[in-house]
Amino acid sequence: MDFQIEVNNKLISVNEGETLLVALRNNGFKIPTLCHMNRFAPTGACRLCVVEVEGKRDLITSCSYPAEKGMKVKTNSQRVMRARKSLVELLLSNHPDDCLYCQRNGNCELQWLAAEMNIKERKYFGAKNQQYPDYSSTSVARDPAKCVLCSRCVRICEEVQLVTAIDFISRGNQTTVNSAFEKGLNQSSCIHCGQCIQVCPTAALFDISHVEKVQAALQRKDKKVIFFISPSVIASTIQSTDLKPRNLVAGRLASALKRSGAFKVFDLGAASDIHILEEAEQLVDMLGNKSEKPFPLISSCCPSWQKYVEMYRPDTLRQLATIKSPQHIMGSMLKTMYADEAGIDVEQMYTVAVMPCLAKKHEASLDENTHKGLSEVDAVLTVRELFQLLKSFGLNLEQMEEDILDIPFDNSSAAACKLGYSGGKAEAVAAEVYRLMHNDTLENFKFVQPKSATAKKETKVQIGKKMVGFAWVSSIQEAEKYLTALKEEERNDIHYLEVMACPEGCAGGGGQPISRGFTSVHARKKICLDLEKTKDFSFPNQNPLIKTESQNKLPDRMRIPYKNWYVKTFNEK
Amino acid sequence: MENEIDQIFNRFPNRQREDLIPIMQAIQDVKGYLSEEIIARVGDYLEISVNKIYGVATFYDNFRFGPVGRYHFRLCHGTACHVAGANTLLKELEKLLKIRDGETDKAGLFSLEVVSCVGACGLAPLIEVNEHYHTNITMESLKELVRTLRDKENNTYER
Repeated sequence: MDFQIEVNNKLISVNEGETLLVALRNNGFKIPTLCHMNRFAPTGACRLCVVEVEGKRDLITSCSYPAEKGMKVKTNSQRVMRARKSLVELLLSNHPDDCLYCQRNGNCELQWLAAEMNIKERKYFGAKNQQYPDYSSTSVARDPAKCVLCSRCVRICEEVQLVTAIDFISRGNQTTVNSAFEKGLNQSSCIHCGQCIQVCPTAALFDISHVEKVQAALQRKDKKVIFFISPSVIASTIQSTDLKPRNLVAGRLASALKRSGAFKVFDLGAASDIHILEEAEQLVDMLGNKSEKPFPLISSCCPSWQKYVEMYRPDTLRQLATIKSPQHIMGSMLKTMYADEAGIDVEQMYTVAVMPCLAKKHEASLDENTHKGLSEVDAVLTVRELFQLLKSFGLNLEQMEEDILDIPFDNSSAAACKLGYSGGKAEAVAAEVYRLMHNDTLENFKFVQPKSATAKKETKVQIGKKMVGFAWVSSIQEAEKYLTALKEEERNDIHYLEVMACPEGCAGGGGQPISRGFTSVHARKKICLDLEKTKDFSFPNQNPLIKTESQNKLPDRMRIPYKNWYVKTFNEK
Repeated sequence: MENEIDQIFNRFPNRQREDLIPIMQAIQDVKGYLSEEIIARVGDYLEISVNKIYGVATFYDNFRFGPVGRYHFRLCHGTACHVAGANTLLKELEKLLKIRDGETDKAGLFSLEVVSCVGACGLAPLIEVNEHYHTNITMESLKELVRTLRDKENNTYER
């Protein structure tokens, strides 16, 4: 049922049950908010969304007030504007004012608000709360002094990722967002997904930066810096810069990194190919009753999910695919086989992963991912940090020539691109399992996407005599819900489950450029889908790099063995 | 053997979120404060994140996270006591006990807490030591009080 309300002397139509804020925004009225998040219950904490409603004594928060028939709303009255301005001025009164030194300078909602409200001077003076930054974690840093207590990080951590690593501590003007016992994030239940950074309006949460580390390594003569770039980073580079033609953007990135002093630039997709092959092999073994593992096989490439299972779901540890993640397949290949092949001293090799992910920083720091005392991956750059690095060297991708990536890891299959979004990996594994069982490829194989957003994301594929069930979930909340339902309904028709800890998979990863909603996340997913079509080959086994049984003859290029080469075990933590 | 924490848990068999505060109060009555280990156990029992519990517990002034001293000073800072000079008393007391508000001294002898009105405004200013009220406090009587307690403690050790 539609009805009309009057806003700023203009009639707009509203759907029944909408909040005032949604109705106003749908009709093009700009209402500032700090605490509002789509798909979450309104809290009315920041009060910036106040509007004046005729007949109401007080200003009302539009985010938490349902639109009513015959309402007369003013969004820009003097009273509203003054209230909003005071609110921002009060927020600023406890803010360090160090925009010039801030990593979110120019990309900060508080800064934008101050500009929108035309705030030209500090109005409230007084003691600021003494607060200290927390650099204890391997991935996420906090600076509570910049926090505006909007509660977005707290809510996404609790409601979407179910870990509640951060929460409000204390009360009143002493309130801070902190981890339990104020001990620092490294001792909390944080799974390093970085979703809190994605929703933070200011720089109260930001990444533990590896940019300076990488810059230092690039300057050193005794270091050979090797970058490897994830296909989804290329997708988000395309999304942020809108460079064309799209299939050559990776080459431009490579030439930019070469100019900044990189020794080699590789495509991580090669390692993703191996990862998919290994995972498909494990599933084939399970389907052929050659393995003791209980169904479903659960993907383990997402380090946040890995940590979540190790901490919260030890009962499902056995079901995780025992394979290193693509990043560490690449890292270990580089520091062993490639180093031997190219005659590089491993001590001189400095490997840098460029990832859409923050948890990869954590993963790279783990003991289990070292080789003879050396980290397999020395530094991990998020997409944001990659742009920062290029900016600091004054490199503009538009002016870069279209180079090619370095041999041997210069190419990857379309399947490797599928790891960039939720559902893609399950699709790639399904196609690969089909190939292994039938010795035949499924051309243009695509999963049927569920029609409604709430439907279970699963599909069945006829492989051999069996209907094999594949399911995919993104975000811990979905994963937890799905696994619980599987157990309760005692289902055994699902054989493979893909879990990505970030909503919408790596396209919505914590290391992506600050997304502010799902529009740019979906755009990135679409670019991933487009990139798949530009690839020379569709299936991981067609990667000339990978040594399969049929191609035992060693060609001039280096070939990589697979099958049980990158086994990883998981332990309860 | 069941310990006292389990006994408290047994009183709340439904394991609901709303049991959190009563459980923490009961534990504090027995243990005197909430330690990290105990908060973690409460979290296990109610299936609530430790961080969430810590957030709730820090919201209320009632909950303590460290042990109190043998003599726990609660200085009233209600309106009447404030007018009667509670601030001056607080400064003096901090000097005498060599601890700040919310702290416990290293020997575990004294701890100090500033509380809101305890409801004895006619007797302001006042200090509560181990649930015993010392009323109409002056600088002299405050010094006397601390000295008496110290002496008492020293004598105990000598004996």
